[in-house]
Amino acid sequence: MTAIAYCNPFVPPEWIAAHGLRPQWLRPRAARGESAVALRGVCPFAAAIVESLDVNGPEAPAAVVLTTTCDQMRYAAALQSERETPPVFLLNVPRMRRTESARLYLDELRRLGRFLESLGGAPLATDVLCETMVRYDRARRVLMRRRGAMSAREFQAAVAEVREDFIEPATQNVGLGATAGLSSSAERTVGQANRGTRRNTPLALVGGPLLRDDDERLDQIERAGGRIVLDATESGERTLPAALDASRLRTDPLAELARIYFDSIPDIFRRPNDDMFEWLATETARRGARGIVVRRHLWCDLWHAALPRLGERCALPLLEWEQDGEGSKAAFATRIEAFLEMLGEASEVQTVQ
Amino acid sequence: MYTLDVFRPAHYNVQMDHRPQRLTLDQWDRRYAELKSAGLREPCYGGPLRRHYDDGDLRLAKLRMDDSPAALRLWNLLLSEEDRLHQARAGGKRLLGAMKDLGTVPVMAYALDNLAAFYVDGAWWLPCLMENQTGMLELADRYGIDESYCPVRAMLGALVSEAHFPVPDLMTCSVGATCDDVASITGRLTELGFDILWWEMPHRRRPEPGEESVTLPGGFYAPRPQVDFVRGELERVGAALEKLAGQSLDDDRLAAGIARANRVRRLLTELRRLAYTAVPCPLPALEMLVAEMLAIHFCSDQAETTAVLDDLLAEVQTRSRAGAGVLDADAARIFWVNPVADLRAMNLLEDAGGRICGSDYMLCHALDPIPEDLAPMEALARTALADPMVGSPLDRAARIAADARRFGAKAVVLSRIPGASHCGLECRLIGETVRRQLNVPVMEIEVPPLCDGLEQTLRTRLEALVETVKENRRR
Repeated sequence: MTAIAYCNPFVPPEWIAAHGLRPQWLRPRAARGESAVALRGVCPFAAAIVESLDVNGPEAPAAVVLTTTCDQMRYAAALQSERETPPVFLLNVPRMRRTESARLYLDELRRLGRFLESLGGAPLATDVLCETMVRYDRARRVLMRRRGAMSAREFQAAVAEVREDFIEPATQNVGLGATAGLSSSAERTVGQANRGTRRNTPLALVGGPLLRDDDERLDQIERAGGRIVLDATESGERTLPAALDASRLRTDPLAELARIYFDSIPDIFRRPNDDMFEWLATETARRGARGIVVRRHLWCDLWHAALPRLGERCALPLLEWEQDGEGSKAAFATRIEAFLEMLGEASEVQTVQ
Repeated sequence: MYTLDVFRPAHYNVQMDHRPQRLTLDQWDRRYAELKSAGLREPCYGGPLRRHYDDGDLRLAKLRMDDSPAALRLWNLLLSEEDRLHQARAGGKRLLGAMKDLGTVPVMAYALDNLAAFYVDGAWWLPCLMENQTGMLELADRYGIDESYCPVRAMLGALVSEAHFPVPDLMTCSVGATCDDVASITGRLTELGFDILWWEMPHRRRPEPGEESVTLPGGFYAPRPQVDFVRGELERVGAALEKLAGQSLDDDRLAAGIARANRVRRLLTELRRLAYTAVPCPLPALEMLVAEMLAIHFCSDQAETTAVLDDLLAEVQTRSRAGAGVLDADAARIFWVNPVADLRAMNLLEDAGGRICGSDYMLCHALDPIPEDLAPMEALARTALADPMVGSPLDRAARIAADARRFGAKAVVLSRIPGASHCGLECRLIGETVRRQLNVPVMEIEVPPLCDGLEQTLRTRLEALVETVKENRRR
């Protein structure tokens, strides 16, 4: 099946799948140092995405959908458009949450639909869209039910899975595909990571999208005694869409798609973005996080500026995770150990008091 | 040599033989005394440049500035902006701070009688002018906006400290297809209690087959729905301005405001044509950079901006007719991309033997006339969407290549802004396009707010570029 790559949570995979194409969530590795896009001032994630698209063969996507949610990705889209393949579609995601903005987002989805059809996608059929939306919604519900049994690395992989075409082609079995997929994904990674136990220090992981290389850091956090109780990175649960409303779905599936994505996902790029901080404050408290690890890519202005408010709003200690590359492995271990130690001491003081 | 009497702007009555040149601040002290004794008449914000240095604009002592009364007036307009804003408020005007706005909302504001709009982002030159003595960058650091951001972060320090311009009665800021630096800084400002009226600027895309295509000033195209969307956003901003001003922004009033803005744009277009093409170069790069910046916000006074540009144009016309200039006739013709955080960089290029023969200081769209044959808000929406920065950087690159060709550039300098989110990939894209289309040398440099530490390196690189251009000319 023709694959359409994407890497931003405001691109609904249901929309791609409903056009008969295969959504492919990109989890790139860091760009190589000698890469032509690994330039000073360039976001490492944007560079990694561009480099990951420089592939040929059967695994290569037929197109990539990028978004305007950050400036660096807008420029990455232009760079990608200079290449012959894969073609890039730049989806305009408005910053503001106004009625007119939501309408613009819907228009953009329709435009994406026409683009998908130009690549051989099927014309949109309302019943197919509804079925597809229900399937993805069920898969996300399954994922969230199982969240507590997964390590941080497993959860990242599982979130990526519900953003792809997780239905087993042979059965087309609604809902079961996701469950099976999640189970096998979990089995694959069991033993690779030291799952946090109840005794481990509960942490929230917040920030931008994770690279595939970051899995190793997640393992390090857990080995050091941390337990990620909230993965609020861009590639984590924060950016999963809201649950479907059955009656709205029946009335207007496209409007419901815009609601669960555009209206509901709290994100750093929105203006204003108070709802994201509100969500983070609520969720970190509800899950009992005692500290926050913030994944921020170098040159990411948006997350960098969020740090002071994050600390103020959630009233939790922060550890900034900015490093990337093999050389920083030891440094990261030292930092996370020190952070957990500090949280442990703070907890003991609280208990004594 | 020419007689200044050939040109006699309204505010000046000077008659003396004079060879135009770039002066240091010390030399300007003497020049000012000469001009005064010759009968120089100045506007209310006039006076010697030295007083700005005494007030803390220390960078003036490191700059070489054009010696004309017109340039003096330009500098005085620029450097008196904070005082004039305080005076405007004291006189009952309401103040609008237009952020991330390269020439749209100020046009609306100056269509109303009792508003003064200014460009808050313009604070980015304060660390340079005051040689980092302001503490604004340190204040921005303290609020989490450190040096990984573009120097525009100085505006956060300026607003929080209230040590410079007054806090505006209303602040607007465009979001969407804009830089992440300003988006982050303004986001931080709202957290600190500043109210900001956001308006959305979508990324300009090309119209699809079958979709109505709208031609924008400057030659880009946008699909009709995007123009309609931006018009709706500007109408929302217009309603807020009406409320602030207590006056209706009807079509007639807005049309008159657009006509006044177009007068500024026409003056600048003619000024650029002469200053960038006449041989020898009749006006230094530094004054041209400052003059071009006036297009976007009128330096808080639209009428005075017009008068200043009238004077500058008259000066340049006089010099051109007389064959007089401030640089050698064989100066290498360089096209400059992006504004510099340190004004001294423009001096360095000229000291190295180059001259500016064209520019894209990120505001070339603010020099294109706003259509006057359309409904005013429609015209403004098209103008806003014409900003090269809101579309694909490939569009901007194409415009730069076309302008560089039109002005006969023999090399292009891509001046990176430290920390700016767009500069990482943009310079690569523009550089590739220019090399491919023009086959001229392209040099990438980075200019921090104070480039003293890098001056030798910058000077050497610019000299090498100039030498290359001159060598190419000999072949």
